[in-house]
Amino acid sequence: MITDALTIVLTGTGLIFFVAGTVGLLRFPDTHSRLHALTKADNLGLGLVIAGLMVQVPSPLDAGKLVLVWALAILAAGTTAQLVARSALKKGQSAPDDEGMQ
Amino acid sequence: MSVWFTSLAVLLLITLAGALIRVWRGPAPADRMMAAQLAGTGGVAVILLLAAATKNWLMLDVALVLALLAAFAAVGFVKAASRNGVGDPEADEEAAP
Amino acid sequence: MVKVIIILKRTVVFSVLWVVLAGADKSALIAGVPTVLAAVLLSLTLLPAQRHSAKLLHLLAMLPGFLWRSLLGGVDVAWRAFSPRLPISPGWVEFETELPMGGARSALGGEFSLMPGTLVAGSRGNALLIHCLDASEDTRHFVKTEEQRLCRALGIKPKVTIA
Repeated sequence: MITDALTIVLTGTGLIFFVAGTVGLLRFPDTHSRLHALTKADNLGLGLVIAGLMVQVPSPLDAGKLVLVWALAILAAGTTAQLVARSALKKGQSAPDDEGMQ
Repeated sequence: MSVWFTSLAVLLLITLAGALIRVWRGPAPADRMMAAQLAGTGGVAVILLLAAATKNWLMLDVALVLALLAAFAAVGFVKAASRNGVGDPEADEEAAP
Repeated sequence: MVKVIIILKRTVVFSVLWVVLAGADKSALIAGVPTVLAAVLLSLTLLPAQRHSAKLLHLLAMLPGFLWRSLLGGVDVAWRAFSPRLPISPGWVEFETELPMGGARSALGGEFSLMPGTLVAGSRGNALLIHCLDASEDTRHFVKTEEQRLCRALGIKPKVTIA
């Protein structure tokens, strides 16, 4: 019963962050800001969903697999965010030189 | 619990559909790619929720593979975007006159 | 000797991964032995064993802080996305890094792409290009401390120490 409540809270919060990711993707004004929303909010959403399911899986091996999915998602997010950010930069969208580099 | 997981998966799919507006409007190729990545991360979450709803934990393997493929999709995008197809934007920039 | 230890470490890591993926029964283990060996060989080609290798314990010690701040990063960006005023003022910061080109720099970049308000878009020369959601915040100092911590964890000696 307590584990079910925990699952509901965690997965529900996860959904909120997925919604935030989409809202950010639609509302933020430039490509790189949108990438912020995508990378951070979505990963937290997935992390929370996974945390919520951890207490539901029947065996420790399945829990390990969940951790693996999540670790992979984090590594992929950190790496692809850099790659996509760099690639968008090269195309000349909101390049550092145009936007008042500190 | 099964009802909760299923409804959550449906809501998540609706959220992902919202991101498709960004694929449609762009404007940059990277914007479109980002929406596709969102579908990758969100898709993993949907599969996990459905696995929990049906108690079919073998679907965890499907989620794992999708997470892997989503990462490769982004790498493929960056590679395709670079001029010679090698895909290192930094090396590309240094080579440019 | 260092090489042997690194190979052993990788074998252990890949073996654990295999058990998680395929389960621990006998038939899975039989298929696992050649798979793990192949994975170790492949990893040695892709990432040769070096003298200054990553210190697993240091990296693990960084994990809680990393998780906490990536949580803050998600909350921060979610708040900005939902807020009706859309409180962002994006800008760029260039940060001179001491980390060598390659894996270490990508690790720092990946880490900062998950931290609140920062996103790394590769580097220009020795400078990391950091995109900030709120350019008024003091990003530079924060990146510096994290860089030093990563240097220690990866067994790289920083060239200069900055107070």
